[in-house]
Amino acid sequence: MTARPVRSRVGVLVRRDGRPALALVCAVFLVACAPEPAVAQQDVRAAVEEIADAGRLADAEAMARASGAPAAVVLAELLVKRGRLAAADSVARSRAALDGPDGRSARVLSAELAMRRGDRAAALQAAAALTGEYQRSSTGWSARDRVAAGRAYLLLAERDADAVRAALRAFDAASASDPALVDAELRAADLLLEKYNAPDAKRSYEAVLARREGHPRALLGLARVEEFAGSGEALAVARAALNGNPALTEAHVLVARLYLEAESDDSAQVAARRALAVDSSAVDAWAVVGAVAWLRGDSTGFAQARAAAERLNPRPARFYVTLADAAARQRRYADAGRFSARALELDSLLVPALGALGTNQLRAGDIAGGREYIERAFELDPFNLWHKNTLDLLDHLATFRTSTLGRFEFVAPERESEVLLPYLSPLLEEAYDKLAARYDYRPPTPVRMEIFERHADFSVRTVGLTGLGALGVSFGRVLAMDAPSARERGSFNWGSTAWHELAHTFTLGLSGNRVPRWFSEGVSVLEERRARAGWGADVSPAFVAALREGTLRPVSTLNDGFVRPRNPGEVLLSYYQASLVCEMIEAEFGVPALGAMLRAWGEGLETPAVFARVLQVDEAAMDKRFSDWLAARFRGRIDPDTLRNDAALEPLLERVSAAEQRKDDAALVDALERIVWIWPYDQDVHIKLAEAYERLGNPGRVVRERRAVIALGASDPLEARYQLARALLAAGDRAGARREVLGVLERAPTFERAQGLLLELRAPQPDGGAR
Amino acid sequence: MKRALVRFCGLATIALFAAPLAAQRTHVLIITGLGGEPQYSARFVEQGRALHELARTQWRVADSSLVWLAEDPTRDPSRIRARSTRDAVNEAFLGLSRRVSPGDVLVVMLIGHGSGEGAASKVNLPGADPTAADYADWLTGFARQTVVFVNSASASGDFVAQLRGDARVIVTATRGPFERNETVFGTYFVRGLTSAEADANKDGRVSVLEAFTYATQEVARVYASEQRLLTEHALVSDSTLAARVAFGGVAASDDPRVVALVAERQALEQQLTVLRGRKESMAPAAYEQELERLLVAIAEKSQEIRAAGGRP
Repeated sequence: MTARPVRSRVGVLVRRDGRPALALVCAVFLVACAPEPAVAQQDVRAAVEEIADAGRLADAEAMARASGAPAAVVLAELLVKRGRLAAADSVARSRAALDGPDGRSARVLSAELAMRRGDRAAALQAAAALTGEYQRSSTGWSARDRVAAGRAYLLLAERDADAVRAALRAFDAASASDPALVDAELRAADLLLEKYNAPDAKRSYEAVLARREGHPRALLGLARVEEFAGSGEALAVARAALNGNPALTEAHVLVARLYLEAESDDSAQVAARRALAVDSSAVDAWAVVGAVAWLRGDSTGFAQARAAAERLNPRPARFYVTLADAAARQRRYADAGRFSARALELDSLLVPALGALGTNQLRAGDIAGGREYIERAFELDPFNLWHKNTLDLLDHLATFRTSTLGRFEFVAPERESEVLLPYLSPLLEEAYDKLAARYDYRPPTPVRMEIFERHADFSVRTVGLTGLGALGVSFGRVLAMDAPSARERGSFNWGSTAWHELAHTFTLGLSGNRVPRWFSEGVSVLEERRARAGWGADVSPAFVAALREGTLRPVSTLNDGFVRPRNPGEVLLSYYQASLVCEMIEAEFGVPALGAMLRAWGEGLETPAVFARVLQVDEAAMDKRFSDWLAARFRGRIDPDTLRNDAALEPLLERVSAAEQRKDDAALVDALERIVWIWPYDQDVHIKLAEAYERLGNPGRVVRERRAVIALGASDPLEARYQLARALLAAGDRAGARREVLGVLERAPTFERAQGLLLELRAPQPDGGAR
Repeated sequence: MKRALVRFCGLATIALFAAPLAAQRTHVLIITGLGGEPQYSARFVEQGRALHELARTQWRVADSSLVWLAEDPTRDPSRIRARSTRDAVNEAFLGLSRRVSPGDVLVVMLIGHGSGEGAASKVNLPGADPTAADYADWLTGFARQTVVFVNSASASGDFVAQLRGDARVIVTATRGPFERNETVFGTYFVRGLTSAEADANKDGRVSVLEAFTYATQEVARVYASEQRLLTEHALVSDSTLAARVAFGGVAASDDPRVVALVAERQALEQQLTVLRGRKESMAPAAYEQELERLLVAIAEKSQEIRAAGGRP
């Protein structure tokens, strides 16, 4: 059995009290005892750094060179910023050998450069030597020396969580020693954020900004905090950082990454190239360039980016992690898994690679394999909230029941399995058959469907964190969704949601996961509407308003409605609009067009090329065609009666009452069945359904409903089981009926009606058999 | 020795749970308090009426032993005896104490809004509210009877400590004085008493424990379906006695043939109890075979009882 790390709680990187009192005492002592720093050297360094922080790297380098030895380390750091790593290393080594006042900074810089070029052994050896000295005695260490110690600890931190805490202590000690040294404060903040303590990191960045208004690195830190929070402000704050320092490579890389996430490949490419113009050694920028090239199918561009990364580090594992992230964001999970596996081949201890590979295996349904990688990642980085959440979820998932029914493997809590699967299994079988016929494609089976009774669990399963707004997700052959109990009563239609997610399995599979988001969502919503009358998104007041105001997006930018919405409501609107586009394509270009488009994307064609090949239109023509179709479709007044909600219970309850009054069992069954797809936990609904089906002579459905009553913890369990026994007998299952009635009478031997049923079951049969 | 002792205990348990309180006479006092709002007034009256009707028609409680005091007697003049003031409650207890015989059962049902504070806990009635201590005093007149006292009001939990005693079952809708939200327990407790749904063992009688179990289960279901946090946790003071006090059913026949058949069936039921006790140690197929044999025999015996004019 695999040993599991102690995971009672996630590691949390925090400062004990912001500034330990001991550090302050030490600081006073240091001022008294430390050798007098070279004032001239500090002045030169500060002056050079100020020019560099304004983005004038060439001027700063010239000044550093002119200043000679006192500016050697800052010169080396400038050379790093400009991507001249070999020269930087040479300067740093020379300075380190002299054992001057900034020798420790030189040593750690040299170690960092060794790590960047893949010489891990040399990097770790140098870092260990420096931290060893620091641990033995830090007396006489300047603030910058302490920063150097913190940086050395960070080099050791990839396999040692204690080193992370030691690094933070060293940065804090440096700040205490010299409060004016913002580098120490910013490095501490960066570390806090890297270890998921965004609130403390934010406070530190803001503290720096309070002292140094507009400080670019502090703004960059705030941008990262915004990115962490998913607030949508990250891009603006990163741009503000670049306004202050246009040569801030990390800010360009952040901008590039943000664009990549928003599927703005061109902008991502431009931002990454800007980063590389400053620092051609920025592997993260090359990774974005490579990712964009890969997503576009540009093998030459991809090879160039990869070669550049390999020149900088023969084992560029992070390059592949970025590719894995980009692939996963585009729903190309198998590729994401392959890239993260490649990253691990290059660096078996790289936590993001372990996490990415594990996550993608989970998405592929390999729970044991995925878990193993995430366990390893969490062992190496106990601060990682995503991995902690995921492992906790997997523990919970292990308590679920797995039921293989037909072409589906359902994984759900026991009660949910009992209640939902008798409805869900036939529904998804029906969906599979219909979708397979329509798209002439049969996805591999079994398709795994996970159902969560707590929305937080579903959210963690999907994105690793709580707070996701979606109801369901499709990773292809693995689907996950909220159980109806995970949401407020009457807030969504779970049958419709399941159908929607399964439709993604077809669109993703048929297109090799290359279908753009808008089209996949459009098909799914369209298929929901086809599945049952009243299911799926339909005309909403927001849509009517957008249509009247002319704010609906053209088809060519519809994807932005999902990945870069102008307002929170636009995503929902885009689902419906995308379904209309698909409807229009079917109407104007024929039913097979949707499948043909999916296949064209699967061949690697970009959307304009797909339009051209399958529909014989360019994007502009497509925009106009849809606009005209939309105008015709919604010409005149929109009937308010068509504004509906497929999860609204009240109208259905009214229909139930009306049908009961009319004694119209067919209408009653129709309304009750619809209610079940919204809220299946009301046993009265199932009792009514059972009785109605009994009157309609449908014993199979009676059995289903009687079982549902029992699964829901019947108010009168023995009566419910007796009724099930009757239903089983009516459905021809004498053995099942006998089993149930014996179970009932075992508990209540004098239950008169059950006694009667038992005797009836033992009576001779018309065919001559008995019992 | 050990084996004999176990057998003795087993039989004692069977006797304790199987035998309803034979030949009991039941007396019922229903007290519905101030509603405060029309919806609550209506709900309290509805519960009082259901219980009154049940006691009269199914429990066959004599009119003189069936007292309903309510906030507004005009809402159901044929059933409501008087306004539910403190004096009227006092008088009702006194009157019933004169009518009861040893071994009888007194059922008191308090329906309304409550507040909890130990002995001073109360249910809001017109005028001065009697306290739990007052109810304790009034119950001293029923020392030789079995008392079932149900307080379905909010914050009613302290009534258990104030009223518990020998031959008493105290049921409250909440487990303490701090569950002050409006309760729904009373609705389901009354429904449990009045419908076959709560009859868990399907013997045709509903015990206090069965009604309590049914009500707590339904209360939990209501809160779950409304996705609300459960804010009422009912209590029962003596579940053993609560299982023995049962209502409903028809008196056994005096016909010697029927009596003999019933005795034969009881013997079969005892065999079934023994068999169930051996279930874990038996092969499933053998157990099922023997189970079916006994259940068929019991069912056939029930048919014979019916054929002989008895009621199984």
